[in-house]
Amino acid sequence: MADVDPRWWRFSRDGLEPSHLLETASGVAAGVIVFDEGQQPVACAMLADAGASGTATLEFFSLPDPAAQALARRYAPDLLVAAFDGAAIRRLYVERFSGDPDLLGDLADLFEIEVRYPDFTQIDGHYEDRTIAVLTAERFQEWREGLRR
Amino acid sequence: MITTSRIVFRPVQPDDYLRLYEIESDPSTAMTWRYRGDLPPLQEYEPALWRQTQQIMVVEGRESGTVVGYLQLHDVDLRAGHGWFSLYSGPEHRGSGLVMEGLMAFCEWAFGNWPIRWLYAHSFEHNVHAFESGLRRGEAVRLGVLRERMVVGGALTDVHVIGIEREHWLASPLRRRFNTLRARFT
Repeated sequence: MADVDPRWWRFSRDGLEPSHLLETASGVAAGVIVFDEGQQPVACAMLADAGASGTATLEFFSLPDPAAQALARRYAPDLLVAAFDGAAIRRLYVERFSGDPDLLGDLADLFEIEVRYPDFTQIDGHYEDRTIAVLTAERFQEWREGLRR
Repeated sequence: MITTSRIVFRPVQPDDYLRLYEIESDPSTAMTWRYRGDLPPLQEYEPALWRQTQQIMVVEGRESGTVVGYLQLHDVDLRAGHGWFSLYSGPEHRGSGLVMEGLMAFCEWAFGNWPIRWLYAHSFEHNVHAFESGLRRGEAVRLGVLRERMVVGGALTDVHVIGIEREHWLASPLRRRFNTLRARFT
């Protein structure tokens, strides 16, 4: 049976059981794929759980190699712009494990951690915390305006 | 089944569904619970009730003999060793402490029967006072607050994430007192 990288929690937690997979997919509002110069997919981003409350979760994964991660970081600002411009989002969440690779680069500093689950699950044989961090539309707008100055 | 001087804590039976439906239909809280005002009709209630749910335990008042509330264990992840719970109280029994006593029985039952390290719950800002004594005493911890996470009744509200860790529960003085009192009724 195929396995899913445990760091891709939304998709790995229930394995590839079809009914769970379909339910998970139904929560995804939009998605983009990042390709490398050879037109190979190396990262993907999805906007999930977008709802009437004006919140959504950004799921952002890359292949586990430094080149793919660097490419993901390079496109992170464009992905956030697309998320906030494409949907009426007040608060955008990112969930991550403490050992996840950095895919947001400097933008990670804009996010504020609101929830921390200590020792949430085991990855590669050891427990890692999981956090939920938020970026507000206002904070992101300030950042964008700072770029224009 | 767990019995104390005030409650009987037992697995839900199909005969209880109507009462559970009444509890969830209460207009003062219907917007705050998982259906957010969109409770399915009674004939579709059972599958909705059990969605992603491992077990439902009801809290019965010994004096009244009626179901005063219930607790739901859901989204258990055995690989990660955690699960979530929801707690529901009939409107006429809020503030009586009966369902919170049910929560102690639930912790005893869940940690005694499931290989889980953590129980988590979401609580809206206006309901979180029910957990405050447990948070003060340390049986529960606030893992964080999702600010302005939901719209309830047209207004933004915070969602608190509460955690109860197995080892803390097992070692807590509250658990010892609960089991001492419970032993008198079993």
